[in-house]
Amino acid sequence: MSNTKARPPQPVASEHIALKARNVSFSWESTPLHWLPGDPFTTHTINVLHLLLPAGERWFVHVYKQVLPHIRDERLREDVIGFIGQEAMHSQAHDEVLPHLREQGLDPTPYTAQVDWLFEKLLGDRTLPPGKARHWWLLERVAMIAAIEHYTAFLGDWVLNAEELDRRGADPTMLDLLRWHGAEEVEHRSVAFDLFMHVDGSYRRRARTWATAFTALVFLWQRGARFFMENDPTLTDGKASFRDFHRSGRAGTLPTTGDMIRSIPRYLSRGYHPSQEGSTAQAVAYLASSPAATAAEARTNGAV
Amino acid sequence: MSSSLRTARAARAALFVVGTALLTRRALRRRIGASPLWPLPALEEPVSGQPRSRALRLRVARHEHVAEGVVQLRLESGQSGALPAWEPGAHLDLVLPSGLVRQYSLCGDPEDSSSYTVATRLIGADEGGRGGSREVHEVLREGVEVEVRGPRNRFPLLDGAASYVFVAGGIGITPLLAMVRAVEAAGGDWRLLYCGRSRASMPFLEELEKLGGAGERVLVVAEDECGLPDVRGFLGGGGAGAVYVCGPEGLMDAVAGALPAGASLHLERFAPAAAAGGESAFEVELRRSGRTVTVGADTTVLAAVRAELPDTPYSCEQGFCGTCQHRVLEGEIDHRDELLTDGERGDSMLICVSRARGTRLVLDA
Repeated sequence: MSNTKARPPQPVASEHIALKARNVSFSWESTPLHWLPGDPFTTHTINVLHLLLPAGERWFVHVYKQVLPHIRDERLREDVIGFIGQEAMHSQAHDEVLPHLREQGLDPTPYTAQVDWLFEKLLGDRTLPPGKARHWWLLERVAMIAAIEHYTAFLGDWVLNAEELDRRGADPTMLDLLRWHGAEEVEHRSVAFDLFMHVDGSYRRRARTWATAFTALVFLWQRGARFFMENDPTLTDGKASFRDFHRSGRAGTLPTTGDMIRSIPRYLSRGYHPSQEGSTAQAVAYLASSPAATAAEARTNGAV
Repeated sequence: MSSSLRTARAARAALFVVGTALLTRRALRRRIGASPLWPLPALEEPVSGQPRSRALRLRVARHEHVAEGVVQLRLESGQSGALPAWEPGAHLDLVLPSGLVRQYSLCGDPEDSSSYTVATRLIGADEGGRGGSREVHEVLREGVEVEVRGPRNRFPLLDGAASYVFVAGGIGITPLLAMVRAVEAAGGDWRLLYCGRSRASMPFLEELEKLGGAGERVLVVAEDECGLPDVRGFLGGGGAGAVYVCGPEGLMDAVAGALPAGASLHLERFAPAAAAGGESAFEVELRRSGRTVTVGADTTVLAAVRAELPDTPYSCEQGFCGTCQHRVLEGEIDHRDELLTDGERGDSMLICVSRARGTRLVLDA
């Protein structure tokens, strides 16, 4: 059942911006294992991003390459092309953190090999036979990406405003990686949803894929935090619990439980459009001052 | 039924439930401990966690003039761990403070895992220099930090050749220096032709002449003393073997033209051909779609392919995001990207920036 005829969600026009990939580069030698000093739980809860994003964002690119022939709107096509490059760079940048973790005695491979299976096999192209089922599967994945992007934009907006991380002396390189990434997520937050509305837009699919994506994210995140805490060579009895998460949320070093819960009905509301959340101006302002993004800008200009 | 009997039964049931729950929890914990995302399987050949390259921040520990217009830098890591290993022929990408990225061959000792050594010649604007070497000479002073990526090797020294012939032009000696040392250390048969404008402008002369010993293994030809080198005469003086050349285009063409029968030729170019002169046009066959497009001198493979296949994926158009990577079935590729690994370069290219070395490429598109 489609709701597109009834009341199409309206984008906030001022929030649209041309998207381009930035050729960022981060070096990790001087980043400590607990890059948020004295707080392994928060460090590792955020570190779960490095476990999920290399495979996850590679999968976004893989799916979006296939959806290009179905786009009939030139501006949306340009947005999707910019989005693909940004996601490819996010995947590469987070992937480079993993060898650094390994060198510090925390080998992520047991977990990432399973995430690889999830995105390459279970969510890959051959899950369903060719023909109609394949097309249904493509739409289903496009809708899942829109739901996941609701959360990446939520996290991007959160990290841009998470001043508590600065106050507690978080490692500047890690903070720049998170905020460069977060800012680009805010910058392109409407693309996945617009694409989904363009190729399908069914409310039932949106609700169904949200449920899948949300459940998967909760599962992956709690297992990831637990994996890091239990295998951290500097901790003797590392554990991760929901109570720790709630406490860090109240301290301002992670999103609050309340904010997480309140974001659910917003995505499921029929009038939802991602441009209603977060601030493009704030994202653009961060990118103008980010060490990695400004170096990338210099590199791009220098290369021409 | 008496109440005591009922209580006992309830207690037994409760015990059973608690016991089962505890056992289940223990079993789950054990499984998750061994397999963090149990019950998902793992991909047999993991993809994540093996980035194509990694960035390192190194400090310029020594900046010295080793010949006229040539500076040698020794780059050290501030950390105690070993730097990634490299083999003769490898290069580093230096990300200069201005953002320019330049590639320099490693010319130090591969056994030294605490530092990298590179040498660069100052190329003035009148010679087509675009500021990279000037920045290395003037900005990368001792103590300055610089980001590097790599090392990567596109000019590997292959084992097992019957003999090795090295031909260097000027600063092109840098990748060959490590090769000469390696072949000499292994007791191999080698000769070197080292050409330059003047002896004063040619780095590492003393070391190379010493390595060459009393025989005629090293022939130094300084243009101001003896004019242009007799490449044909030098190559003709030995049997077939492996010939490694690094230098200006003219020298590489001369070697290619005078190559003895049976010898294998290995070239390392200073820079993409574009820097030397204009681009040239070539043809690209799109095998799967059965079409052929012409890539003009002023356009890219991507633009030409998109004109035929508008849904071709791409994004950054500058050779770093990797979206437009295409499989290449035939033809020699002139790689211009900063991304692909040497393995990937064998049979694929980024069509947004890379071009054909010859007149034709065949893409799996």
